[in-house]
Amino acid sequence: MIKDFFILLKQELTVTIILFILLFIKIGVKEMPARIVLNIINALLFLNLLAGFLFIRAGSLFGDMFQTSELISFEKNLLNLGTLIISLQSYHWLKNHKHALEFYMLMLSTLLGMFFMISSNNLLMLYLGLELSTIPLAALANFDLEKRRSSEAAFKMIISSAFSSGLLLFGISLVYGIHGSLNFAILAQGYSASPLGLFSFILLLAGLGFKISAVPFHLWTADVYEGAPVPVTSYLSVISKGAIFFVLVSLLYNVFGNISDTWYHMVFVLSVLTMIVGNLFALRQQNMKRFLAYSSIAQVGFILIGISGQSSAGSSSVIFFILIYLFSNLGAFGIVSLVSSVTGKEDIDDFRGFYQTNPLLSWVLAISLFSLAGIPPTAGFFGKFFLLLAGAGKGNYIWITIAALNMVLSLYYYLRVIRALFMEKQEQPIPKINAGWSPKIAMIICVGGIIVTGLFSGGYTYIHSFFIK
Amino acid sequence: MSEIPVTHILFVSTALFFIGMYGLFTRRNMITMLMAIELILNSVNINFVVFNKYLYPEKLDGLFFTIFIITIAAAEAAVAIAIIINLYRSHHSIDVEDATEMKY
Amino acid sequence: MSASQIIFYLISAFILGCGILAMTTRKIFRSAIWLLFSLVGVAALYFWMQVEFIAAVQIVVYVGGIVVLIIFSIFLTQQSGKEMPKPPLGRNIAAVLAVLFGFALTFLLINKYGFTDQGKAFDWSVNKIGTQMLNTGEQGFALPFEVVSILLLAAMVGCIVIAMRSKPEEK
Repeated sequence: MIKDFFILLKQELTVTIILFILLFIKIGVKEMPARIVLNIINALLFLNLLAGFLFIRAGSLFGDMFQTSELISFEKNLLNLGTLIISLQSYHWLKNHKHALEFYMLMLSTLLGMFFMISSNNLLMLYLGLELSTIPLAALANFDLEKRRSSEAAFKMIISSAFSSGLLLFGISLVYGIHGSLNFAILAQGYSASPLGLFSFILLLAGLGFKISAVPFHLWTADVYEGAPVPVTSYLSVISKGAIFFVLVSLLYNVFGNISDTWYHMVFVLSVLTMIVGNLFALRQQNMKRFLAYSSIAQVGFILIGISGQSSAGSSSVIFFILIYLFSNLGAFGIVSLVSSVTGKEDIDDFRGFYQTNPLLSWVLAISLFSLAGIPPTAGFFGKFFLLLAGAGKGNYIWITIAALNMVLSLYYYLRVIRALFMEKQEQPIPKINAGWSPKIAMIICVGGIIVTGLFSGGYTYIHSFFIK
Repeated sequence: MSEIPVTHILFVSTALFFIGMYGLFTRRNMITMLMAIELILNSVNINFVVFNKYLYPEKLDGLFFTIFIITIAAAEAAVAIAIIINLYRSHHSIDVEDATEMKY
Repeated sequence: MSASQIIFYLISAFILGCGILAMTTRKIFRSAIWLLFSLVGVAALYFWMQVEFIAAVQIVVYVGGIVVLIIFSIFLTQQSGKEMPKPPLGRNIAAVLAVLFGFALTFLLINKYGFTDQGKAFDWSVNKIGTQMLNTGEQGFALPFEVVSILLLAAMVGCIVIAMRSKPEEK
């Protein structure tokens, strides 16, 4: 029993241990130089990532409140990897920040929240994990303490997340009223298709839709992404979004499986709106972070296509896409983060002539953007290909056509940025940036990930194998 | 207390939920928006207690959910107020419309 | 109508009336006080349902904690006595319509589903709540308890970082 406890909970326990080590460093030890602390933390996060691959087992704990399996461990490892990349990338920003340790404490507690959310087998744990992964994140969004925009972003984030969890909770309370249980297994036995049951499902979906910023619920996204510090933005757009997609996939398939005909249409509407609005707004953005915010909204629309697949192909294509999305989006955000923390520039126009001064960084950004756009040799193409393939299994060709048109539309704005990087010139381009070794490692991981997952299709087969067993 | 139908209590909680929603839609002062959130969470708490007491009294799931929501509401309010105070210090106004330096 | 029924309707009217006033008065301090009354009303509703433990928690945490926090923050950030501007008419009407529609829809659905009293005895005691709260097995809530404690720790760290004044020499 005790051994089970340590093995099944190992990923949560390692994160908690790191959290407490940081707390003790903060309270107890004399001021340490920031560089040493950051390197120690990166080493710890690396160990945490490695530990995630050991002793993988399936099982459940705490009277079925917590469950884990090989798939769930894999998802957690993905989140660990993303956190490590972000930590490496934000080296320059944190070096001069007074509260670097607190940044990591809050980030790790949100990571812990996502772990519990993914592992939840109960609506109570789902809700608690969701809150643990958003409330500290709102505090993180305020970490540019002197900047007004940062505080505004934090406030918008906490109010919109409170509103969405209000909707989610009302839905959960009705589900509890109908079924008398919060356990997923019991709910899945026959989710009520009565009008009230559907209504509470809509409330749940709306609550989660806020967190993934699907379109009618996306209004907070761009402001928060622009105002928050870049590392927090990349964390929000990749890690927390990815975690919620993992949960959404398992919720829709396992818990709401028997009303799948109904939610198929809702996901259809959400997806089409999300793609179109995300792309149209991305066209007219001038700020790099807002641009990436809307482009990530558009990507959400694509992921929703995969979700509608409703089979092992659906879930594995979503998880595979999130793996690729993690590398590509973090690659792009890494460069923006580096430029913003060294020079303070964030506009697309500022990036004109970037290739002349920083050829290597331009290539990293270009490869990431190509992958986001889904251009063939990069991994992004295969990601979107599998998503569309899973969606096409249902035979809804209108949806696939809209998606294809949107891919063309998105090419335009990704290429606009690439043209600014490589072909346009300006009087004073961004000076040469010395990245330092830790952001460089992050870039190597991202580009390597994009190329490797693009060239070898092993990734998809590997993820697919979890569902076949 | 069987004289009161359960739906009458649910009427109160639903109404409270939508009063909170109304506040959230119309108010533009940050602190009042926070108050609206508190009303919404309270209405959910009532729902959980009612369902637990009248419909499923064998287990205490609803009561525990209520306790955890109350705790989280406290944490949420604390973080929100910290943000508000920080914003006020830099900016001397806590109206959302004054605060929108960013355009859509 | 029995006394208990009358008391229930009084409490409900009190909660909703205070809630509406809290969301519509234009003086922010009054709004906080109406909120306080509304939350006390909810506590009274819990007492009426004979769930005294939740009622006590409600009073201690909401009324004693959150509302006091809100009132403090009002004193820290507002000029007292200043009226808040009226919301624009268009937005007000839209909000009222949306809310009324949402309320009507939700309540109709709830009413149609027809939740009925099962008439079983509700057996809770502080003792039972305490044992379940720290129980790791079936019907135990030890894991959520730990998760919430991490959340409170994180919220505390976040609040301290955000709201702490920067040191004087850095001004």
